Amino acid sequence: MNSFLLTLVQFIAVILVAPFVTGLVRMCKARFQGRHGASPFLPYITYATLLKKQMVISKSTSWVFRLVPFVVLATTLFLVCVLPLLVFGGAFVSLGHFMIVAGVLALGAAFLVMGGLESASAFGGMGASREMTLASLVEPAMIATFATFSIVTGAFTVDAMFANAHILTSPALIPAIAALIMVALAENARYPVDNPATHLELTMVHEAMVLEYSGPYLAMLEYASAVKLTIFSLLVANILFPMTLAVDATLVAILITIAYMIVKVIVVSFLLALLESLIAKMRFYRMQEYMTIAFFFALAGLVFALIHITL
Amino acid sequence: MNLSFFVVLSLSGVFLSALISFISAKGQGHRAVVTLLALSTGLGAFSSAAFLLSGQSQLTITQSAWLFGTPFVLSVLSALFFFLLNTVACLASVYAMKYVEQYTEVYNVRVLDGLMAIFVLGMQGVLLAGTPFGFLVFWEIMSLSSFFLVMADKEAASVRAALFYLIMTHLGAGAILAGFMILSNGSLLESFTRLAILAQHLPPSTLFGVFLLFLFGFGSKAGLVPFHVWLPEAHPQAPSHISALMSGVMLKMALYGFLVMTFTVLPIGSSTAALIVIALGLLSAVYGVIYAVIERDVKRVLAFSSIENMGIIFTMLGVAMLTQSQGMSAFSHVALGAALLFAIAHAFFKSGLFMGAGVMVHAAHSRSLEVMGGLSKRMPAFSGAMLILALAAAALPPFSAFMAEWTFVQNLVANLSTMSPFIQGVLVLVLVTMALVGGLALFAMIKLFGIGFLAEPRSEHVAHAKAPGKLIAIPIYLLAACSVLVGLLAPAILRTIGYGDLTVNYDLHTNIVLGGGSMNPGKLLALLVATFFLVLLLRRVLSNVKHEREYHTWDCGQPITPGMEFTATAFSASIRFFFRVITRTKKNVITTPIIASNPWIASRTFSLELRQIWYDDLYVPIQNACLWTSTQVRKLQNGVIQFYIALIFIALVVTLAIAL
Repeated sequence: MNSFLLTLVQFIAVILVAPFVTGLVRMCKARFQGRHGASPFLPYITYATLLKKQMVISKSTSWVFRLVPFVVLATTLFLVCVLPLLVFGGAFVSLGHFMIVAGVLALGAAFLVMGGLESASAFGGMGASREMTLASLVEPAMIATFATFSIVTGAFTVDAMFANAHILTSPALIPAIAALIMVALAENARYPVDNPATHLELTMVHEAMVLEYSGPYLAMLEYASAVKLTIFSLLVANILFPMTLAVDATLVAILITIAYMIVKVIVVSFLLALLESLIAKMRFYRMQEYMTIAFFFALAGLVFALIHITL
Repeated sequence: MNLSFFVVLSLSGVFLSALISFISAKGQGHRAVVTLLALSTGLGAFSSAAFLLSGQSQLTITQSAWLFGTPFVLSVLSALFFFLLNTVACLASVYAMKYVEQYTEVYNVRVLDGLMAIFVLGMQGVLLAGTPFGFLVFWEIMSLSSFFLVMADKEAASVRAALFYLIMTHLGAGAILAGFMILSNGSLLESFTRLAILAQHLPPSTLFGVFLLFLFGFGSKAGLVPFHVWLPEAHPQAPSHISALMSGVMLKMALYGFLVMTFTVLPIGSSTAALIVIALGLLSAVYGVIYAVIERDVKRVLAFSSIENMGIIFTMLGVAMLTQSQGMSAFSHVALGAALLFAIAHAFFKSGLFMGAGVMVHAAHSRSLEVMGGLSKRMPAFSGAMLILALAAAALPPFSAFMAEWTFVQNLVANLSTMSPFIQGVLVLVLVTMALVGGLALFAMIKLFGIGFLAEPRSEHVAHAKAPGKLIAIPIYLLAACSVLVGLLAPAILRTIGYGDLTVNYDLHTNIVLGGGSMNPGKLLALLVATFFLVLLLRRVLSNVKHEREYHTWDCGQPITPGMEFTATAFSASIRFFFRVITRTKKNVITTPIIASNPWIASRTFSLELRQIWYDDLYVPIQNACLWTSTQVRKLQNGVIQFYIALIFIALVVTLAIAL
């Protein structure tokens, strides 16, 4: 019962805070660029408006087009259920095995790609091709990162890995965390991999795929990417500060962890906006260099971890 | 009940259907033959399943007087492959009933059916035979019948592919024969159990040579790089139900042969042997998946994907051999179980995809993905089944192949820290390469489905395509269902094929439990479905479902034509670019200016040449060397009879010198 309650708290808190994270990153970026920026609460209104709007469905599409928003959002919510975002020891942590997490992320990416192809326009196809390339090249870095965590902590679910990852005693985790951050940027279509604010076709990846979606379907896809951004923000924060997560379902513990969550998403959003204001987007055809760097960080972590254990 | 009787009945049924098809009059008997074939292979599938579930370890079918007393036995391993073979053959026969009737002008239906029955019989025999002699006889029956099946449409490309296949498969069969000869000291009638005892007394260097012969023999049949070049030529040329049998099952015969020879007949090998297998496996997986991504012919994509899948399976076997040679038998046991689970998954999804490719090719009148598209609107149910098969082939959760990869990776990561540095290095390489291959396999499968089925049709034929008939579609639906079920029942399957120690029973479900990690496929599927229905519910509650209209895709003010869609070539452009060092594709853009004053206004022709680097850089030089040698030898034939007599005399002297 305790674990169910914890998962429920985490689920509700994450899906409620997700639009705020997107809005906050946008506001911080606007401030860095010398603009005033919209309120961080604007995405809530945007999604509510989109839900009310009429949908325009392209004649070129089939049933797959309609399935895509559901699968993409469902895979994201699946991750909210299994990962340690606010609490340790939730009800579904046994499904948080790193292979399952990587596989479910790939499943969501695959469906998003199919949605992009369904539009029958060159934009959708281009975004789909790019996203598919990124999703397939990020896989070795992600598996190697998680393998490092697993070897250092002796655990296989992300929940147990994070609960046992003491960064001060295992220096091997440092390159692995660097790799995790690079993977997180790529997975969420942020700088330097993708420009989330763009409407220029030369730079589009994520935006190009959802171009043909409108109304509630667009709200679902945008919401899924907001939830995913929140998931990865909290993951990166949690690996550094695992003590901020709740382990038992008392009212005080839950309130504290929610307060921590808000602090964490504010800090991560600020840092993400700072990063996006400091660096430029990489050319897409240099993406293999970025992925290779992420992969070698992860591999370095893996090698250090193995040496550390053998010694 | 005596199961062996049913196995014999199944074999005789298959034999009888071959006979009927050859004696029946032209244009008749097709349905009778495939029905009989489906029934008898179905019986074979049921009897082998019953044997597996009974928990016995061995079943003697018959000790036939002909074939020099070759015993026919079914062990757990061969029963597993027997089950896969018969299930796929049964569904392929059902599929063939209507599928072949669409092509009565192209194929000689009687011969096609008869050869298919013989092909199935050959594979059944390979699995049952208990001596090298019987094994080789049926191996040849299987190879020769599939050789004729590859050129069933009698086109020049098919005949060329078939001859190439014939050469490669006979080089392989020769190597297997040589291996058996060395092992048994010249007698092919000893049983495999006796061979295992004989092998104990041979020196390690001889055993290593035998191992290399077997690796070449079975590896060339399984399509391991660099012996794979025939596979992407031969598999696509055969009719689709034969492609399904060749890719889904015939590759498994090579796997079975390799498993039996390396793990039961030969004693535990050296780590060098294991490293060779791992190297070939990883090479096949990487090379196969890159070509699966960049190929544009739907059946060639599937053929290259088979090379990749066999590469992964052989990598798992190589890891099993490596850990066995280091004395880590528990690790080796799990790796073997993962390889078998992957083989089961592959048999189902690849057969289903090849049969589905038959439907796609029939609709498009071409094998090129570039002229397909829009099929999901025209055949929704069929495209749904293909989507499931494609996702299963990409090893995504919660489908079949994912469970095998999970078992393998979980075992590897859990034990990595306890090994010697050298083994750790090898295993880390295996882990990250398999992750890369997994990512690219997803790319290949999404390309196949996305370009083939989604958006607007790129040709007139596809635009008017009709959904396939029930008899063609149902086998594909069943194979898609199998891909889901194998994922869901993975723990129970592992238990049935002798890997019960990896599973733990609970009240309502069975988990795979390995080195501290556990996997409950039912719970995984349930949570995925639950979140899906939660989203569905929220959508109905929070927004108006009916509030929508249809319009064309946003077009920047210029009408969109199917020519503007991304093609398979464009879709895979980035991977081709990133891996250009390996693929070395040649891109030709010819620009001819239309107006002399402005070079930007020009007509452009684009062509892309996919090169087969192994063929160009390894096989063509060998071929040239052979031709050069034969040209030189031909100089001997100068028409002078005295010279010929001198040659005969020299040959005699040399022979006597060697013999005495």
